[in-house]
Amino acid sequence: MRKGSESTRPLTIALPKGRILKEAVALFEEAGIDTGSILKESRRLIFENRDEGIRFMIVRGQDVPTYVEYGAADMGIAGKDVLTEQARDLYEPLDLGIGYCRMVVAEPGELRNKDNPQHWTHIRVATKYPNITTRHFLEKGIQVEIIKLYGSIELAPLLGLSERIVDLVQTGETLKSNGLVEVETIMEITSRVVCNRASLKTMPKRIKDIIDRLSGAVSAGKGPE
Amino acid sequence: MMKVPPAISLPQGVRDILPEEAEKIAGIESSILSVFNGYGFKRVITPLLEYVDVLSLGMGRELEKSVLKFMDPSTGRVMAIRPDITPQVARLVATRMRDCPLPLKLYYNENVLRYQERGGARPEEVLQIGAEYVSAEASPDIDAEMIVMAADALKVLGIKDFKIDIGDVGFVKKVLSRLRVEESQIKRIKDAVAKKDNSGLELILDETGDAIDGRDREILLALTTFYGEEEVLEKAKEISGDPEDVKSLDYLHSVLDIIASKGFRDSITIDLGEVRGFDYYTGIIFEGFAMGVGKPLLSGGRYDTLVERYGYRARSTGFAFNVGNIVRVFENA
Repeated sequence: MRKGSESTRPLTIALPKGRILKEAVALFEEAGIDTGSILKESRRLIFENRDEGIRFMIVRGQDVPTYVEYGAADMGIAGKDVLTEQARDLYEPLDLGIGYCRMVVAEPGELRNKDNPQHWTHIRVATKYPNITTRHFLEKGIQVEIIKLYGSIELAPLLGLSERIVDLVQTGETLKSNGLVEVETIMEITSRVVCNRASLKTMPKRIKDIIDRLSGAVSAGKGPE
Repeated sequence: MMKVPPAISLPQGVRDILPEEAEKIAGIESSILSVFNGYGFKRVITPLLEYVDVLSLGMGRELEKSVLKFMDPSTGRVMAIRPDITPQVARLVATRMRDCPLPLKLYYNENVLRYQERGGARPEEVLQIGAEYVSAEASPDIDAEMIVMAADALKVLGIKDFKIDIGDVGFVKKVLSRLRVEESQIKRIKDAVAKKDNSGLELILDETGDAIDGRDREILLALTTFYGEEEVLEKAKEISGDPEDVKSLDYLHSVLDIIASKGFRDSITIDLGEVRGFDYYTGIIFEGFAMGVGKPLLSGGRYDTLVERYGYRARSTGFAFNVGNIVRVFENA
């Protein structure tokens, strides 16, 4: 390999705040990439790993694709829900298998008993994911009126805001305790490594190296097959 | 600062350029054009408007989603603001210039208006400086000359650490055309390859069962990792073995050898999994990138059937600089 044809500037990786961060950090550690005190210093947003020439940046999960698409971060970790909703121009070279959940359509139990989704022609749906929801129902020929909410989606049917919701479920407990039942699964979701196009083109070796090491960590986590 | 009343605001996606930036753009233009002139390219000026059905001859039906169109009151035909200059040059070569001897080396410096594929209804005006090399036959020398000219221009512009990434849609299209699966599945496979989404691709291939044989399966999955430097080509040859594939890879190899002989070896990367870009590309494709700017500075490729779609048999390679993205290189520097 010729030396010096690839830049040695720090490579910035955007990590999502919240429940995925811990699992993501565990994978980096398993891959032999030191993440320093990320999990300890909850107020700091930038961490440097000088040996590897990597800079970690902690941002909101929904913002990761934006940082990466514009090149403010070279790589990132983002959920398939956010990636599908935002449909940005990014590479998604690795499924980390972490942060598993499902995106489902749900409605109140009593409605479910007399409801036949085959007969839906027009429905009102509360969701954080207007694009995914619209596309899902359009493909079935169902007109959908979206009520965009930023949280506590389960409340919408209880308060008569919408009959149905589209939201993420992990165990289904939240749905259950709010009297909702699943109608169908739209997609299964895990977190992915995403990569800026120009970064991959200008630093292919460094990026491939990180992906390969993370990929090894993912396989190690699954145990021998 | 004066507050602009909504009554005199601009539509989304277009903007004014003030003297300071306009001067920077003029500097960029004169650097690029000096290089184009040095390679013997002559300027053409194409019109702002085209009939949609004429544009679609070259660009396919998909085009209609990405143009601003309206009715011509005098003829009742649908017109569009050009979203791309290349099909215009193809039309021009096939009509007004068909008696000119080939090769033709033409350049343009114009703005285009296109609706972005993603995110829906938002137009974007782009300043493009591009060149087209129209010849009777395709050759690695011509492709290499175009890439070297692009690299020369980036050098003259003073952009350090740029990379020109070269792929071959011809190679990918050949592999895809061998697959005996439905059109919708080909599209999903292509999308997964475009995103280098190895695990997603694996799921789609599992769904197709036996329809895709072992070797094609292996090539498709490998396409998501076939990026880097020259060694990628050797790996691809090892896996494929199909004589048609090897022919494409050898062609690409000769292009690389010529570029290397002109001193740009370190500026080149390879990505065989690149399937982006216009539907009309048939062979090698390339994009230029610089550190710190997430979007390509230039993009282009070979399109051997485009001029023919306008009724004249000629081969062609071309590319265009996105002037706005080049301005951003200097802002970030």
